[in-house]
Amino acid sequence: MTAESAPTVGGAATSSTWLPGWFEAWFPVILLAVVGGSLPLWGDSFFGIIATRVCVYWVLVSGLNLVVGFAGQLAIGWVSLLTIGAYVASALAAGRVTPEIPAYVALVIAAMFGAVFGFIAGLPALRLRTFYFAMTTLGLSTIVTQIALAWRSVTGGGVGIPGPSMPAPFDTPWGFYYFTLILALICTWMTCNIAASRFGRSLVAVRDAEVAAEAVGIYKPGLLMTVFLFSGALAGLAGGLFATLQSYITPDAFTFDLSVLFFIAILIGGRGSILGPLLGTAVLTVLPEFAAPLVQWSTFLYAFLLLVIVLLVPGGIADLLDFRNRKPLDQHREIRPRPELLTKVLEDRKRQSVLELKGIVLAFGGVRAVDGVDLQLTTGEVHGLIGPNGSGKTTMLNVISGYYAPQQGSVKQDGTDFTREGSYTRARHKIARTFQTPRIIGESSVIDNVMIGGTLDGHASFVEAMLLLPRQRRDEKHLREKAMAALTLVGLERIAGVRADRLQHSELRFVEIARALMVEPSFLLLDEPAAGLSVDEIERLGELIKAISRRGTGVLLVEHHADLIFDICDRVTVLNLGKVLASGSPDYIRSHREVINAYLGA
Amino acid sequence: MLVESIISNGLAVGAVYALIGIAYNVMFSASRVFSFTAGSVGMLGGVFGAILISRMGMPVVVGFLLTLLLGAILGIITEIVAVRPVLKSLDQHLYVLSTLAIALMIQQLTAIYFSTDAVPFPRVIPIEPGIFDQKFWLPILACILTVLGLEYLSRHTLIGRAFLAIAEDNYAARALGLPEAGLRMASYALAGMISVLAGFAAGQLLFASLANGPLLNFYGFVPVALGGMGSNRGAVIGGLALGLFQQTANYFFGGIFSSVAVFIVFIVVLLVRPEGLAGAATARRV
Amino acid sequence: MPTSAREPLLQIKDLSAGYGKIGVLRNIDMVVYPGEIVAMLGPNGAGKTTLLRAISGLLPWTGSISFAGTSLARISPRDAANQGLVHVVEGHRVFTQLSVEDNVLLAGYDLPAAQRRQQVEEALDFFPEIKAKRNDKAVTLSGGQQQMLAVAQGLVRKPRLLMLDEPSAGLSPVLVDRVLAAAGQLRAAMTAVLLVEQLIEKSLAIADRVYALARGTVVLEAQASEPGLPQRLEHVYFGRDGQAGHGPSPAAGAAHAT
Repeated sequence: MTAESAPTVGGAATSSTWLPGWFEAWFPVILLAVVGGSLPLWGDSFFGIIATRVCVYWVLVSGLNLVVGFAGQLAIGWVSLLTIGAYVASALAAGRVTPEIPAYVALVIAAMFGAVFGFIAGLPALRLRTFYFAMTTLGLSTIVTQIALAWRSVTGGGVGIPGPSMPAPFDTPWGFYYFTLILALICTWMTCNIAASRFGRSLVAVRDAEVAAEAVGIYKPGLLMTVFLFSGALAGLAGGLFATLQSYITPDAFTFDLSVLFFIAILIGGRGSILGPLLGTAVLTVLPEFAAPLVQWSTFLYAFLLLVIVLLVPGGIADLLDFRNRKPLDQHREIRPRPELLTKVLEDRKRQSVLELKGIVLAFGGVRAVDGVDLQLTTGEVHGLIGPNGSGKTTMLNVISGYYAPQQGSVKQDGTDFTREGSYTRARHKIARTFQTPRIIGESSVIDNVMIGGTLDGHASFVEAMLLLPRQRRDEKHLREKAMAALTLVGLERIAGVRADRLQHSELRFVEIARALMVEPSFLLLDEPAAGLSVDEIERLGELIKAISRRGTGVLLVEHHADLIFDICDRVTVLNLGKVLASGSPDYIRSHREVINAYLGA
Repeated sequence: MLVESIISNGLAVGAVYALIGIAYNVMFSASRVFSFTAGSVGMLGGVFGAILISRMGMPVVVGFLLTLLLGAILGIITEIVAVRPVLKSLDQHLYVLSTLAIALMIQQLTAIYFSTDAVPFPRVIPIEPGIFDQKFWLPILACILTVLGLEYLSRHTLIGRAFLAIAEDNYAARALGLPEAGLRMASYALAGMISVLAGFAAGQLLFASLANGPLLNFYGFVPVALGGMGSNRGAVIGGLALGLFQQTANYFFGGIFSSVAVFIVFIVVLLVRPEGLAGAATARRV
Repeated sequence: MPTSAREPLLQIKDLSAGYGKIGVLRNIDMVVYPGEIVAMLGPNGAGKTTLLRAISGLLPWTGSISFAGTSLARISPRDAANQGLVHVVEGHRVFTQLSVEDNVLLAGYDLPAAQRRQQVEEALDFFPEIKAKRNDKAVTLSGGQQQMLAVAQGLVRKPRLLMLDEPSAGLSPVLVDRVLAAAGQLRAAMTAVLLVEQLIEKSLAIADRVYALARGTVVLEAQASEPGLPQRLEHVYFGRDGQAGHGPSPAAGAAHAT
C-alpha cells in the first residue's frame, strides 16, 4: 500500500506523516541553530575552533552546493575563490592597497570579488561539460596560488599577510564563532529557500534533464551564471572569514586538499540535498581533528570515500536518510486519467491559432533527413505524423521545438516567425512537448517534476526567492496547486510525493504529459507517447489526448501505434524518406495505396 | 646558447606533455572516458624510477621494465575500479569523480610513502652531460618511439585494428564479437605504460616530484583538448608547441605570465570551439 | 520446408527484454530450424531490433533462449559468435576508418590466423564488388557496399545462424536483391538466416517462414507461401488485427487475423 491518503493539495510533496512542512523544509537551519548555538554549553575552546572552521567551510560549501549538488557542475577547484576572498579581505584590512578598511567592509568587498570570480570561473560551464569544466576549475586554482606567491606587494608572497581582525564583540574566539555561526545559518536558510523555489528545481532540471528543461523555457546560461555569482560571493565571504580564523595566511594554507574537502563533502552528503552536505562538511572537517593519525591520511580517506560514494551509494548521506522513499509502493498501480478535470488545468481557448511549417529542409552530413516538408497544425485538432523509421518524424518535431534550425523553410505561429529561435523560447510561444524516452528528473519527486513545467509562471526574482519574500510564496502556492491539478488530471496524484525514478515507465509518460500541460500549451507535441504502454493504457491515453485537443490545444502526435493514430486523429500526415507522402483524414490515409506500400516496403 | 636552451627545454617538456596527452587519448578511444590518473601515473614514472634505481639499487634496465609493469598494473586497476563500474551508468559524469578519487589516492600515497619534495632522478645512460643532454633527448626519444609503436600496432597487428574499431563504434565492435572489455583493459594498461614512460624519461628533467602529478594532468590535457580528443597527432603537435611556448614565456616574462597565458588560451579556445581546434562537431542530443 | 521432426537450431521461450525500465518484448516464443530463412516482420517500434539484440547478448533478457541445444543465458555476443550465432546489426555500421579487408579480418578475431585468412577470402567471394576494393578504407564505399561489407563480416565465422537486421535499409532495389540473394546462397550451405526486414514482398519471396511482431509480442506466424499472407500482414501494420495482448499462437500457421 502507498502511504499517501487522499490527495491533499500542496502538502503531498513535502509533508511526512507527523511533522509540519516548514519544519522539514528548514530542518538543516534548525539543526545547525540548535547544535551550533548550544555548543559553548558542552564544548571546550578546542571544540569552538573546530566548529568555527566548520561554519566557515559551510558558508562556502552551502553556495558551492548549488553549483555541484544542484546544477551538477563539477567545480572541483573552488579553493581558488576562497583564496581570492581571503587575500582581498586581508589586503584591504591591512591597508596594502588602500587605507585600512574596517573588517566588515573588507568582508563585503571580498564577497563581491568572489562573485565576480565565481562568474568568471563559471563561464566555461556554459559550453564545456564534465571533465573539461573540472579541468578549467583545477587550472584556475593552480594559477591563483601562483599569483598569490608572486604578487608580493599585495599578498606578501610566501611570507604571508595577517588576516582581518574582527571588532568587538566578535574579537574573542567564542565571539567570532557566533559571528560565523550566524552567517552559516543565514546561508543555510537562503540556500534552503533557493532549493525549494523554481530556481532550485530548474538547476536540478538542467543537471538531469537539460533538454526537457529547455523545452519548458528554462534559459540555462542565465540560471547558471546567477548561481555562479551567488556561490562565488559566499566563497569570497568564506575566504575573508578563513583569513580571520587563520589570523595569518600564506599561499600554503590554500592547498588543493581544501578543494577536495569542499567538493567531496557535497557528494558524500548527496546531490540535491542541503542537510547531507552540511553533515558532510561537519564530518570531514571534524574527523581528522579527533584522530591525529588521520591527519596525514585525510585526503586519502576523502578520496576513498568519494570512490565508495560513486560506486556504492550514489545518493550519499541524503539517500540514506530518505526514509520516506523506502516505503514500498503499491505494486499494481493503474493510471486512470480524468479528462473531465481538464477545465482546472487548461483555459478554454477561444481564439483559433495556426502553427505553420513551410518547406522545411534539414540535412545531416549530406543526408536530407527532412526534404521540403509542409505541415500545418490547428488548435483544437489532433494531427498524426507517421512514417517508417528514418522518415523524418522526430526531426520535424525537433525543428518545431527548436532543437534544430532548419537549413531552409520557416516555422510560424499566426504569422510570427520563430524558425531560428532556440528551444528555450518555445514554452513562451506556448508550445510544449514530450519525449520518446521520458526526460524526467529521477531524484526529484513527481510533483517537483511537474512543477518544472510551470517555470515561466514564476514572477519572483532570484533574490526574492532567496529571501522568501511574499511574491515567492504566492508563486510557490500557485505552482503547487496547478501541478497537483495536472497530476490529478493524469491520474497520478496519489504518488505526487514519490521520487520519480521509482515510477513505472508508463507512469513517466503521463508525468511528462502533466509537465507539458503546465505550459498551458496552444500546441502540444507528443513523441511516441504510447510506446511501452499496455493496450488499456493506450486507450486511456487516446481519450486524454482527444480531450486535450477539444479544450482548444493543437496536438501533434508522432506515433507508430496505428490504432491510436487512426482512432483519435483529425488529420494524418505521412512522411517517407523526408518528404510528405500523403496528408488527409484517417480514412483517406488508411486506404491510400502508396502509404500502405511505403509501410509494407512493396 | 639561450635559444638552444629554450628549444631543448621546450621540446623535452613538450614531449612529456605529448606523451601524457597520448595516454589520455588511448584511454579515451577505448572507453570514451578521460581519466584523471594520466598525470598522476606519469608522476609515478619518475617516483618509481627513483625508488627502484636510486634507493633500491636496481640496474637501470630492470628498474625501467619494472616501472613499465607497475604502470600497466595501475592502468588495469583504474579500469577495473574506476571505469568499468561507471561506464554502464546513465550518469555521464561519474567517471570524472571515480578517476579523480584514484588520482588523489595515488598522490596521497606518494606523499606519505615517498616524499612531498622533489627527489633527484638517477642518470639513465652513463655518459657525461653535454649541451644536448640525455635529460632533453630522452623524453623526445620516448615520444618518438611511442608514436612509432602505436603506429605499428594499428597498421600491422590485428589487436591494433581492434583498438581502432572499438574507438570508432563500440556497439558494432561488440556485436561483431570483439572482446571489448578485454581490449579496454589492454588500452588502460597501455596508457599506464605510456604515462610512466613519460615520467621516467623526464625524470632527470622534472625530478621525481609529487607536484608533477597535477601539472602533467593539466598540461597533458591541454593539447588533447585543443587538438581534438582521440587525435594523437594533435597531442604531439600541441604538446610540443605548448612546451616551447611555456619555456619562451618563462624566460622572457616569467612563470606566472606563461601559466596565465596558457590557461587563458585554453579557456578561450574551448569556449569558441568546444570540440577543439581539429575536432569534429558533436553529435545530436535529442 | 522444415518439418517438426527436426531439432530446432534456435528456440526461444517466454522471452522478455527491454531497455532499463522500458519493457519492449513480452513473452516471445519462436523457433528457427537449421538451414531455413525466417523473416521477422512488423511495424516500426514493434521490437524486432530489440529481439535480435537480446538473442545475440547485446541486451539482457529473461526467459529462455537455446541455440543448438545449449542455453544462451548470460553469454556475450563474442560467445554467441564462437558458437555460430552471428548478428549483423542495423545501419551497416562498419568501421569506416579501417580498410575493407581489415573490417572483415576483425570479424574473425578469435579464429586461428590461417583459418581466418581463408574464411575472409571466402566471405569476400560473396561480394566481388567489395573484394575489388579490399584495400580501400570503408568510408569510401557506398551505402550498399557498406551493407555488403557488413554481411561479409557476418559470414566470416561461417555461422550456423546469421541474423540480419534490415540489410535493405537505404539500398537501391538492385542492391537489395544482391544482398538478399546472399541469404539464399547461405541456405544452400545449410546456414539458417533470421531476417528482420521492412520490405515485405522481397522478404516473403526468399523466406521459408514468417513471424510478425507488434507491440513486443509475436502476433503472426506462418509459412511464407500461405495464401492471403500479405493481407494479414497489412492488418498487423495498420491495426485491428484482433490479436492484441493474446500473445503468440500455439502452432505454426494457426494464427489468423480477423
